[in-house]
Amino acid sequence: MTKPSNKPVDELVPIFFMGKRYDVPASLTIQKALEYAGYQHIRGCGCRGGVCGACGTVYREPSSYKLQVGLACQTVVEAGMHLMILPYYPGNRSIFDIEKMKGTGSEIAALYPEIFKCIGCNACSQGCPMDIDVMHYMAQAIRGDVSGAAETSFDCIMCGLCASRCPAEEVQFNVAILARRLNARYGKPRAKHLAVRVKQVEDGVFEEPLHDLMKLSTDELKQLYRDREAEPQMAEDDWTPQDARYV
Amino acid sequence: MAKVAYYPGCALNERSSHLDRSARDATEKLGFELDELESWTCCGAVPPVSKERIMNLIAPSRILKDVRDSGRDMLITICDFCYNTLKRTNFSIRTDDIIRKRVNAFLADDTPTRTYLEEEKSPWQEYEGEVKVVHLMEYLRDELGYAVITEKLKRSLKGLKIAPYYGCVMLRPFDEIQLDNPENPTIMEDFVRALEAEPVKYPYRTECCGSYLSVSSPDASTRLCYRILSSAMKNGADAIVVSCPLCFYNLDSRQKVVLDAYPDFKTIPVFYFTQLLSLALGVGMDRQGFERHYVDVSSALEKIGNSGERDKA
Repeated sequence: MTKPSNKPVDELVPIFFMGKRYDVPASLTIQKALEYAGYQHIRGCGCRGGVCGACGTVYREPSSYKLQVGLACQTVVEAGMHLMILPYYPGNRSIFDIEKMKGTGSEIAALYPEIFKCIGCNACSQGCPMDIDVMHYMAQAIRGDVSGAAETSFDCIMCGLCASRCPAEEVQFNVAILARRLNARYGKPRAKHLAVRVKQVEDGVFEEPLHDLMKLSTDELKQLYRDREAEPQMAEDDWTPQDARYV
Repeated sequence: MAKVAYYPGCALNERSSHLDRSARDATEKLGFELDELESWTCCGAVPPVSKERIMNLIAPSRILKDVRDSGRDMLITICDFCYNTLKRTNFSIRTDDIIRKRVNAFLADDTPTRTYLEEEKSPWQEYEGEVKVVHLMEYLRDELGYAVITEKLKRSLKGLKIAPYYGCVMLRPFDEIQLDNPENPTIMEDFVRALEAEPVKYPYRTECCGSYLSVSSPDASTRLCYRILSSAMKNGADAIVVSCPLCFYNLDSRQKVVLDAYPDFKTIPVFYFTQLLSLALGVGMDRQGFERHYVDVSSALEKIGNSGERDKA
């Protein structure tokens, strides 16, 4: 066996994090590059897969004056980029009891009256790493179209970068999640199969494997874990395990 | 059926959707379709008093550019505020090189710059004010012709005395809007005549109803509405007709407050011009949303009665 080489396999490129230069492998994402540089992410790092919204990042490249956005876990570093991760952006969140609401646009307007300050500059959409038409769902919220705002904002991961760009100081992502909650509660029909499944869970239909496990000794549990059937790395959509009793 | 690009505006989208519906019903009867823009934002509702406020011109400019980019050259609106904002923004872009360049610098930034997105296929083209902004009333007068409406009447409004209310933004400022004489207009009177109703002239028809003061200084708006409404009634009106959802809100809903403030006041029905139009073209009462009005409109509708029904194929 050959000893792993300490030489980087990749070309190193300079990036500037909080203004300080680090030379990092060119193929890494911003998130991994910072770990390479010695940072440990305690906040501002969640799923590492582009869906949790914890690692919203703003950056500029040397070739353009324009402010760019991306997720640190998805965006590959570029030579000379200046960047900062914005794991959290302050946003006011209105308190509501969804059971006491009706699901109308005026309820959004009452909880977030500042939506009417929107001037349609579109900075929010330009600042969205999920390519959501943020300005459009705000326009829909303004005109009371709850289901429209819910559908348009569906991919929102609540990173808050839209709010960081807004000259009207809107908190778009909180308006959006209110619209989606109202739409789910009042705009969409209740899922019938969900009630059936909840009943099954409550009736203990799925408890048998748990009881089986609780009878085992520590060694037997360890063995079971070692022998477990793992989902392949590149599984097909219809992949199911050999033991499909509870799937 | 011919299609004309249509900008409903926020007020008519949900909160006053019955007014939007009556406009669509009526134009269908007249042989053209109001084709709502695929994606639109609030126009801003008020044109900026200072044109230095470039940011406020961006949203209305983008709406107009989207119309141009979709290959159309005319945009219909049925709200006076949207009409005023869009038309004046367009005027600024047409007449002021600096404003046009600054607005376009922002519009050019609209395309997201993220590298993993596909690039826009159509090349960027500066918006130069190519689209013509028209009020539906203007379209009926100039493009269709009021005579066509009279020809297609199914239910004459004969016997009804209607006071047209212009408010302040439909006609002003004249050098930018150029719709009608702002002090002595006739476009709405002629519209009322086309429906075979009788227009009532009264001194307050181009005065302000209080507009947004309805929110910040409701008392001021109450006083203004009282003057307008009682002046129309003194001159014999059975009903008021308006062409702006905010005027509609003030003149209709505010009558509740006017009643409390002025003991001599009696209520008067208020119609949106599209409601009268679609009624006269034979669209059913049930599609007008009259139940959403504060003032019961039946006193006015009784004047038309059934005598107005026509049997024209």
